[in-house]
Amino acid sequence: MSASISIKNITKRYDSVTVLDDINLHIEDGEFVVFLGPSGCGKSTLLRMIAGLESITEGSIDIGEKRIDTLPPGQRGVAMVFQSYALYPHMTTRQNMAFGLENVKVAQDEIDRRVNDAAKILEIDHLLDRKPGRLSGGQRQRVAIGRAIVKEPKAFLFDEPLSNLDAALRGRTRLELAQLHQRLGSTMIFVTHDQVEAMTLADRIVIMHNQKIEQIGTPMEIYQYPASRFVAEFVGSPPMSMLPINSIENTPDGVTVEVSGAGKVVTAIVLPPEFNATNAVIGIRAEDTAVVAAEEDGLDLTIKVIERLGDRTLLYGILIDGTDLIVEDSGRSKVKAGDTVRVSISPQAAHIFDGDGLAYHSQMEV
Amino acid sequence: MKAFNYSPEHLTSNRQLFWIAAVLGVIMMAPVAWIIGLSLKDNAELLRGTEAVFSFPYTLLNYANILESSSVFGWFMNSMIVAVGQTVGVLLLSSLAGYAFARLEFPFRKTLFIIVLFGLAVPEQAVIIARHQMFNWFDLHNTHIGLILPNLSSAFGVFLMTQFFRAIPKEIDEAAMLDNASTFRIFWKVLLPLTLPAQATLGIFTFLQAWNDYWWPLISATKSDMYTLTIGIASSQTNFAQSEGLGFLGAQAVFASLPVVIVYIFFQRHIVTAVSGGAVK
Repeated sequence: MSASISIKNITKRYDSVTVLDDINLHIEDGEFVVFLGPSGCGKSTLLRMIAGLESITEGSIDIGEKRIDTLPPGQRGVAMVFQSYALYPHMTTRQNMAFGLENVKVAQDEIDRRVNDAAKILEIDHLLDRKPGRLSGGQRQRVAIGRAIVKEPKAFLFDEPLSNLDAALRGRTRLELAQLHQRLGSTMIFVTHDQVEAMTLADRIVIMHNQKIEQIGTPMEIYQYPASRFVAEFVGSPPMSMLPINSIENTPDGVTVEVSGAGKVVTAIVLPPEFNATNAVIGIRAEDTAVVAAEEDGLDLTIKVIERLGDRTLLYGILIDGTDLIVEDSGRSKVKAGDTVRVSISPQAAHIFDGDGLAYHSQMEV
Repeated sequence: MKAFNYSPEHLTSNRQLFWIAAVLGVIMMAPVAWIIGLSLKDNAELLRGTEAVFSFPYTLLNYANILESSSVFGWFMNSMIVAVGQTVGVLLLSSLAGYAFARLEFPFRKTLFIIVLFGLAVPEQAVIIARHQMFNWFDLHNTHIGLILPNLSSAFGVFLMTQFFRAIPKEIDEAAMLDNASTFRIFWKVLLPLTLPAQATLGIFTFLQAWNDYWWPLISATKSDMYTLTIGIASSQTNFAQSEGLGFLGAQAVFASLPVVIVYIFFQRHIVTAVSGGAVK
């Protein structure tokens, strides 16, 4: 019984401070959407506005065909999983899960059926008579999800629910959440500042920055075609390297840019005539670079730090003018800190960002 | 908790500490033991000299007389009604006020809270004449209501409960709101049970304070059938000590202390945490 969610011209102000500015977003029925952004960008506020825990200064929110921003939280048909889980400490798991149903006078056998079904799905049926104080972090998290499931909501809202878990459990729970979404087919909105969670879980990612939506897209769209310099630097690990551009030479097949003092980079990007080259940079992801023989064309990079990740090696170095560049080499890389290596850049994979941070990509399929 | 140190130097200093504590304990307990001793002696024997406390025979006759004495039992019941009434009232009002100050938005909330805090600084003596006059107008003297009412507005209780409600994460309320619970249901079913440690602390202090209260009952209860135990025993001491005997007086004092002792025994853990300041966690 899930539904689409339409957020129209939402603005949130606290006195003179604007927290969200004219947000528009449509989430399809059954879609898994992740709000991703740094702390303070407004992603949790937007989620709480959908839940009804924050008021809206301007705009409206619809779930399905119904406008819900005028309704109290309990009548919006959404369920939320909090970062701290917010379980009722004095109630058992069963009571925690049943509380919402008791409030709307669901019949006792129906409550029992739903609680038992959810407990089975989440494998917490043996914990139903325990209070939250006697549960581990992971178990509490499952109970919080169970409390949401039993309500059979139109949409699930997750507010950084994995951030209190240790790394191993976080990975496992991430996978389970993806499976849960497949199984329930419900509309889900998930807030996180962790890009791995966003990339692995989302059908679409909404990148938020400075109180606005910076970009909406599938994980690969966001990764391969970042709309702005902020997105390019925020998404991806390691982050995209940004090299200042000295001069630009336009050709019909793309531009060749000269990176200050380090050489020329040929790209497949076609820039419009009105392109503003002031403070423009070229962005390169580590995996789109390669260490090549000294006689080949490329940039000279002095290696400062090496990160060996097993299957690949990340080389953190600086170009002649002091600009940082991260290069990916094979897992068996022989490069050592202090070496100077020649680095080539894949022309199709480079991105150019103008002085305002706006992105220009290669027209060729990456 | 720090482990006990068994080194000879520490053992010596601990032994000294023990003896100091023991002497202080004896000094504190001596009057209690004296009263218990008196209560177990025949009044006629005590008239000859109170050193009789240290020798046999002992008797429970004075306690039997209390149960037969309608006035003492009546005073006990008055004290019980006043103490229980005050405790229930203070818990109810302080919890409601604490929840409102901690969670609800309403005009002049901060100003009202400051006024409540100001109540902590106003001594009872400052308002007693005005209160006496008011109760006189409303004809509330010599009534149970008249004895209970003045202490229902507990500034300490409101402050304690407000702080405790504030310490509960707001996400708990928000989860309950999403669970479609009404404001009262959130208060009653979700938040109030979480304040049990504070309720216990406040309840114990209120009960003990009400049970031991002397001054207001002295002013308000002028008829002997409305005396609380504290007033009743005090009046026995001045009026009936010679006629009814020291033993009977001692038995009354022991009888009066019983509820307090029982409260201490059953709620010892809460009293310790309350006094040590760790109650609100």
